[in-house]
Amino acid sequence: MVRNSDAFGSLHPVVVFGYFVLVVGVSVVFLHPLILTVSFVGALAYAFYLVRWAGLRKLLPGLMLLMVIAALFNPVFNHRGVTTLFYWEDNPITLEAVVYGWVAALMVGSVLLWFVSYNQVMTSDKFLCVFGHVVPALSLTFAMVLRFVPRYLAQAKRIAAAQRGIGRDVASGNWYARARHGAAVLSIMLTWALENAVDTSDSMLARGYGLPGRSAYNDFRWRERDLMGALALGGGLLVVIVASVAGVLRAEYFPAIELNPAVPLAWLVIGVWALVCFAPLLLGLKEEVTWRSFRSNS
Amino acid sequence: MNPWVRLAWVLSLTGIPLVLLLGVLFPFERSYYFVAFAVILLAIVPFFAAFEGRKPAAREVVIIAVMTAIAVTGRAAFFMVPQFKPGVAVVILAGVGLGRESGFVVGALTGFVSNFIFGHGPWTPWQMFAYGLIGFLAGVFFSRGAAERNGLGRGSRSYKPWIIGYGTVATFVIYGLLVDTASVMMWASEFTWPAIFAIYLSGVPFNALHAFASAVFLTLLSTLIVEKLTRLKTRYGMFQPR
Repeated sequence: MVRNSDAFGSLHPVVVFGYFVLVVGVSVVFLHPLILTVSFVGALAYAFYLVRWAGLRKLLPGLMLLMVIAALFNPVFNHRGVTTLFYWEDNPITLEAVVYGWVAALMVGSVLLWFVSYNQVMTSDKFLCVFGHVVPALSLTFAMVLRFVPRYLAQAKRIAAAQRGIGRDVASGNWYARARHGAAVLSIMLTWALENAVDTSDSMLARGYGLPGRSAYNDFRWRERDLMGALALGGGLLVVIVASVAGVLRAEYFPAIELNPAVPLAWLVIGVWALVCFAPLLLGLKEEVTWRSFRSNS
Repeated sequence: MNPWVRLAWVLSLTGIPLVLLLGVLFPFERSYYFVAFAVILLAIVPFFAAFEGRKPAAREVVIIAVMTAIAVTGRAAFFMVPQFKPGVAVVILAGVGLGRESGFVVGALTGFVSNFIFGHGPWTPWQMFAYGLIGFLAGVFFSRGAAERNGLGRGSRSYKPWIIGYGTVATFVIYGLLVDTASVMMWASEFTWPAIFAIYLSGVPFNALHAFASAVFLTLLSTLIVEKLTRLKTRYGMFQPR
């Protein structure tokens, strides 16, 4: 299950999950060009660190396309703003809407890039650790589904091979024949799965499912560095959120573009935000440097 | 009723109007985005709480996991044909065979788990709720009939056509609208009707194909799956109302 064990991902899942929720939240809520630029670059750098070119090459063209569409989509449908650039089919295209479109595109891009890292770092076992205590029955069901899916995919291949042997190939015939053969495989698999399910549940009962005092399995320990990480990241995020709500970082696009003056305090907040956004990457790099320095060069 | 379940219902039933009211009273730039997101999350809460509060038996947990895994496998196994997937059909039949609460859980978990394969994003809660609602409504409309007739019935007394009709409409309207709304949230950073209309319109071909796929798979699978589930239920005495 561990796809990428970088330093940030080795923190306690609660910290990792909270970090992603809050960073994505801040990026979505406060549409400030600087906050979003920093968030975008931070997300891109961390995603690159995790999946390298091989992973990003498949994603980036689509991502760029999505961002361009998001940027163009806005001025076409949004005609607020005082600075008209030109008229397109009798509709005013305003400077404010164009700028707002690009800011929105940055938002979409950074959210999607954060989710690239999220999908790498926040594996299902970590998700179970976060929610196993809150919703035990659902988490158990979820864990079972995770085990069943690869098992069923393998079984589906076997059934499909057997069906091919009696002339019901999933990959031949017209589309309806294919769908019919696919449905037959699914139905046969269901019978097999339900038979197993009865055994599984009897086995669960025999091992004491549902008895009082049972706890959720948890492979993650809360250590000192998790507390440090939570305090540092949480503190940084708190500063950014409070400052944005208090108006230190303010961006309004309609009717006219209005940014807060570039006072030192605003730059300080941006700096804190940059540290928060780059924290996972910096943590990973620091760990690699430490690792290299410990390696004997003889 | 379990106090936690009651708390969840209170939270959801007071929370949703409260969030909507706050959104109307204190509108800020793009507040509808957060209002909609909060409403979707709050709407999922009572269904999950009901499942937790019921303290489901081992067999029910396993059967729900099996149906979810079949739906996810279906979604993953037909990956080569976009939108032509049996996921919604399996969720509907789980709702018909196992009842509305299990229908919701199977649906919501299907949306959630399959995104570990297809990738999570801001659309995940929307997909979860859409699948869940489809499974829940299938249970509301058809599960009692399935229990009484030990299956879907035969010939003119069969209500299979109704299930197929429901599945087609539900896929197009419920799933299509909810998931396209998630795209509206992504694309249209500004709430204007033409923009929203443009996004819904661009979704129509995909949703139509998806709805067609549901109809096809419901035609092929509904009798088979519902009979298997009702047989299992009567044989082992599962999912009985308590």
